[in-house]
Amino acid sequence: MSTLTTPELDEQIEVAPDVPWQTVVWDDPVNLMSYVVHVFREYFGFSQELATKRMLQVHHDGHAVVAEGAREQMELHAQAMHDYGLWATVRKAPQ
Amino acid sequence: MTHVILTLTRVEASHLADLVGQFQALVTEPEGDPAVERLTPDVYPNDAEASREFRDVTRDDLLGRRAHDAATVAADLARIEPAAVEEALSPVDVSIADLDPWLRTLSAVRLVLASRLGITDGAEHDEDDPAYGLYEWLGYRLEGLVQVAENES
Repeated sequence: MSTLTTPELDEQIEVAPDVPWQTVVWDDPVNLMSYVVHVFREYFGFSQELATKRMLQVHHDGHAVVAEGAREQMELHAQAMHDYGLWATVRKAPQ
Repeated sequence: MTHVILTLTRVEASHLADLVGQFQALVTEPEGDPAVERLTPDVYPNDAEASREFRDVTRDDLLGRRAHDAATVAADLARIEPAAVEEALSPVDVSIADLDPWLRTLSAVRLVLASRLGITDGAEHDEDDPAYGLYEWLGYRLEGLVQVAENES
C-alpha cells in the first residue's frame, strides 16, 4: 500500500539538510583574550585548546565561526554571545 | 560553583558600586545611547530588516538580563559594611556566590567606557582621561576574576 510509505517520504523531504547557518564572533579591541576563551569554554563547552584556537582566530583573522546549524539555533548562540558582551552575527554558510 | 572572595580596597569597591549603579541606569533607560548599541549589536549586518525584527523580539530581554546581572553585583557590593573615610585604602572582602554576573557586568561596563573613550572606533583615545584609568583598572580586576573562573573549571 503506497499510502503507508508516502508520509515517510514527505518526512524525508522535510528534514533534507538545507544550507547551514553560522554564528560568527568578530574581533573588538575591548574584550580580554582570556575572557573570550572563558566564554567559549563555558558556553560552547569547547576544550581549552579549541577555545584558545577560536579566540586566536578572532584576534588574528578578525572573526571566527563558532557554530553551524539551523538558523534559530545560531540566533540563540548569537544572543548568548551578546549576553557576554561579545560581538556576534549570524549568516548563511558561504557556498 | 564555589564561593569567591574578591579583595578590593574600600575606595575601589566604592568606585565599582558607583559604576555599576550608572550601568544599571543605562540599561534600564537605554534609548539612543551608542554604548547600548554595542551591547545589542545587529545580528544580520547586511540585512537591516532582519536585524530589526530580531532586535524587536530580543532586545528588551537582553537588557533585562543585563540589569539583573548588574543588580546581583550591586547587591554583593552593598553587603560591604560601611567604614570611616580614613579606612578608604584598607582592604575589604567582597563575597561572590556566582561569578558569571560579575564577569558579564565588568565586561559590559568596560564596553561602555570604551565606547565613551572612542576605543571601539579604533580612534585615538586620551590615556590621561580619568575614564581610561577606570577602564584599565576594570580590565585588571576582570582578568583576575577570569583566572579564578578558569581555575575552577
